[in-house]
Amino acid sequence: MKRQLIAAVAALALGATTAACGSASTNSGSDGDSDTIKIALIPPTSGALAQFGTDAVKGWKTAARIANDNGGIDGKKVELIIKGTDADPATTLRVAKEAVTKDGAQFIGAVMTSPEHAALNAQLEGLGALSFNSLGKDDALVGEQCSKYGFHIVQTSSMDINGLADNINELPGEKWAIMAVDYATGHSAAKKFKAAAEAAGKDVVMEQFAPLNTTDFGSYITKLKDSGADAVFAVEYGADGVAFVQQADQFNLDDQLKTVLGFNMVSEPLFETLGDSIAGYYNNVGYDVDADNALNQEFVKAYTEDNGSAPYYVPADNYLAAETLFAGIEEAGSTDPAEVADALQDLSLDSITGEVTLRGADNQLLRDSYLGEVVKADGGLKFKILSDANPDVTTPEPDSACKK
Amino acid sequence: MNAAQVLNGLALGSLLMVLSSGLAMIYGLRGVANFAHGALYMSGAYIAYSVSDRMGFGLAIIVVPLALAVIGVVLELAFFRPLQHRSHIELGLITFGLALIAERLVILIWGEKTLRVRPPEFLQGTSTIFGVEYPSYRLAIIVIALVMAAALILWLRLSNVGLHIRAASQDIETAAIMGINVDKVSLIVVSLGSALAGLAGTLAAPYIALDPGMGNAFLITVLIVVVVGGIGSIAGAMIAGMGLGLIQTLSTVWSPSFAVLVPYLALTIVLLWRPTGLAGKRIS
Amino acid sequence: MTTTAPADDITGDMVEPATVKRGRPGRMLIGLGVGIAVLLVGLAVPYVVTDTYRMSLLLDATILSMLALGIGFMARHLGMISLGHGAFFGTAAYAVGVAITNWGWSPLNAVIFAILLGSALALVMGVLVVRASGFGFLMLTLALSQALYQLSVQISAREWTGAYDGKLITYEPDMTFLGLTQADLINPGLFWPFAWSALVVSGIVLWVVGRSKFGTTLEGIRENEERMRFSGYNTFLPRLIAFVLSGSVASLGGALFAMNAGYISPQILGFTQAGDSLIAALIGGFGIILGPVIGTFLFVYAQANFNFGGNLHLLTGLLLIVVLVFMPGGITGTLQKVYRRIRGKDRQVSDERGRSGRDIASDRADASELRAENEQ
Repeated sequence: MKRQLIAAVAALALGATTAACGSASTNSGSDGDSDTIKIALIPPTSGALAQFGTDAVKGWKTAARIANDNGGIDGKKVELIIKGTDADPATTLRVAKEAVTKDGAQFIGAVMTSPEHAALNAQLEGLGALSFNSLGKDDALVGEQCSKYGFHIVQTSSMDINGLADNINELPGEKWAIMAVDYATGHSAAKKFKAAAEAAGKDVVMEQFAPLNTTDFGSYITKLKDSGADAVFAVEYGADGVAFVQQADQFNLDDQLKTVLGFNMVSEPLFETLGDSIAGYYNNVGYDVDADNALNQEFVKAYTEDNGSAPYYVPADNYLAAETLFAGIEEAGSTDPAEVADALQDLSLDSITGEVTLRGADNQLLRDSYLGEVVKADGGLKFKILSDANPDVTTPEPDSACKK
Repeated sequence: MNAAQVLNGLALGSLLMVLSSGLAMIYGLRGVANFAHGALYMSGAYIAYSVSDRMGFGLAIIVVPLALAVIGVVLELAFFRPLQHRSHIELGLITFGLALIAERLVILIWGEKTLRVRPPEFLQGTSTIFGVEYPSYRLAIIVIALVMAAALILWLRLSNVGLHIRAASQDIETAAIMGINVDKVSLIVVSLGSALAGLAGTLAAPYIALDPGMGNAFLITVLIVVVVGGIGSIAGAMIAGMGLGLIQTLSTVWSPSFAVLVPYLALTIVLLWRPTGLAGKRIS
Repeated sequence: MTTTAPADDITGDMVEPATVKRGRPGRMLIGLGVGIAVLLVGLAVPYVVTDTYRMSLLLDATILSMLALGIGFMARHLGMISLGHGAFFGTAAYAVGVAITNWGWSPLNAVIFAILLGSALALVMGVLVVRASGFGFLMLTLALSQALYQLSVQISAREWTGAYDGKLITYEPDMTFLGLTQADLINPGLFWPFAWSALVVSGIVLWVVGRSKFGTTLEGIRENEERMRFSGYNTFLPRLIAFVLSGSVASLGGALFAMNAGYISPQILGFTQAGDSLIAALIGGFGIILGPVIGTFLFVYAQANFNFGGNLHLLTGLLLIVVLVFMPGGITGTLQKVYRRIRGKDRQVSDERGRSGRDIASDRADASELRAENEQ
């Protein structure tokens, strides 16, 4: 009897407290125009991607500072609402709902992974907020998972890989091996690269796929050595990428290779960890820090003042997202998400990467992709841009699966 | 199948062997599956990163196991001893909580960035063995692990303390009645087990990349190794660890996606076929 | 395993009040009445909590509670701690996704299919694991559910599970689930009645089963499996039935989770999810049926409010240790102790425990009770 009583009392108490909390707060939606531009940033704050999350926020902060210093956008102040997630789509979605319904955010940025974007895109219209994706590269985000309210600022994997394929003739090596992560991106990158390599008259002597979170690449590297390849195309990210590079070094794999071409494998945040052994590696690069245009120079200067180091693709792509959003607000003359979304359709703007256009059919931003080589420079490493590929070449036609 | 692939298997097996023998020792004596073992191993790797950054890897391989032995002493005195009359599963869940805390502390101290440790100068590059060119550092891991395994088994078999450990692991209450200082034995076992986790972490640091998920990634595999080897059997765990390393590596050559499932298959098969594990309840 | 085996199960302290007398129909009726009252009161929640965000937190907690309820049932009646119930929750969620998205089934059929599939998996897994006890059971459930996780993220499973990308559930536009369109299902206020009813009904069913003759058999097995076996009881079948029943409740939760979220992330089968649910259940306490539910609500609340910089696990780790060391009955167990103390029935309780528990267990239980008293 006691137990039932306790159970009942506890249930009622629980219901009462939650109800009290609930009725005390109000639902401040994001409908209509308002005096401030509220942007919720939801980067990963834990897990292997936390560093990228921090840098994404830095890009937005610099953008907001410059905008507010110049009197705001369309006369309105930019306010960043900085949240965090563990990069689990469920958490991100919960935080996004909180930011929109409780904090009144109209726009969302700095969400990192493609699965998070997939989950978010599915609910954007219901939330009535716009999301600016400058990090998740999955092609499906502008295909079957696209949303009228989701804008794809970063290049898709297809654009990146097409950019590399376009330049394959500039890289030494005739017998290519492909080492990719056993993951959707790994497979599609491998397939496209193979086709491009064969079209360029190169041999692809082997293809192998390692599961995500592989720590020991010994047996894969042994197979690479045995294959007699003189060039490797590697699609390995994060800790997997570091392990692969480190172990390839220990196995002396570089000795038999003329080219190691990474796909999203080496990037600026990893330079210090990976050290000089990656000098001479090639990789796709999303953003050219040395680009010769006034907007970029202004951004690089402001970012360096704010953070003490030059930007790389993560802060830059988030800055580009802010530029796109601001251009949309100015075009619409309103902060109402629906009006901004309409204004962004097929809008062209001047940006840190030159003139870019937001393609209305799938909300993809059309922009260049680059091929870079890791070179030693003033005590550290940096990317030297070897060539850039135009969006006409890299960007596939809009996916018919995208029904906005 | 070439010699290099067998060596790859031996190298992974060596790491699993060191890691699982520490877990098996603690399990055998305290009856507790130490869920914090993965976190101890990860802490060992990160401490090795800091030590070898300042004083070189050669020193790290001595300092880190000692540091972890101290952590082991704390574990024994703060948790295992005062709570020894609690059920084993409650203690196991407490180590689960400890693991969560330790993982977070590692992140707060070293950050989330993937880190890399360089092997000592003379072990960088490759050596030629059995006609194949193979990384010297991996050869060193194999040698160190085998020497450690032999030393541990000999010590357990031949020394007085070893005798007491074996007796207490067989039946801790009877051992106490027979006049063995069980508290002392347990202190030695838990600190030695932790030190072995530290050694495994140190050896792993230049071998794989350091990231905060590395502990969990190995924990489940190592728990499986201990169960497959026969709960409480140190030699069983060593053999199972080496065996699993070899099988997993060689099946990777054949099919990487199948290799991921190997530990789970091994566990299911062994438990259906021989529920007490390969060695049953026997110490070394 | 000779001498260590007896102490390998969880001790009476974690499931303490299971010694309550049972079988009187009057009590059962009162219990049912309370259950129905809770159900009806709960249905009013969306009218009181108008804030969408808070409502979605309550809904998340309600759905996850079903997973914790399943884990709690095994712990409470059999002393078996499972790290594998996430497998049933996750399998059911994926089953909903596959049935709707890949096969174009109606949502209602998909949910029924998901619960059946989750339960079938519990049956297969149960045959393999319920003979084990203590750590053996814990590790087998962990290993098998992790094997399932590894299978779900294989690239060859991509068509079904979406592998690492997760599974997005898409309906034919005209399809509804008991009158709700896909957009309605995402709305926490509209989905609440399903989740709340499912939780309360599952709770009542498990409570009634726990008080039945079958429940007594389970507790007999928990206290001394060998004695039960020698007394001529089949101890395998009851354990298997209990495992499947608790797995079905977790499956129901998983199916509802998928319906509401519209998206299934691969982490649903992961180690962290399994650990989190177990921790939530432990912190709530296994002593009463409500314990794991309260634990889950607290966990979801903490996750939403104290997760700054990813320090949630630092806190849950600390809390888990504090609870296990100082208050093994969890929050609800401790509250009950306080309540009994006020009623001055302390003595009687520890007598009861001494009768049912082992010597070691009751010695320690008294010690920890003293500690608990000192704290008050």
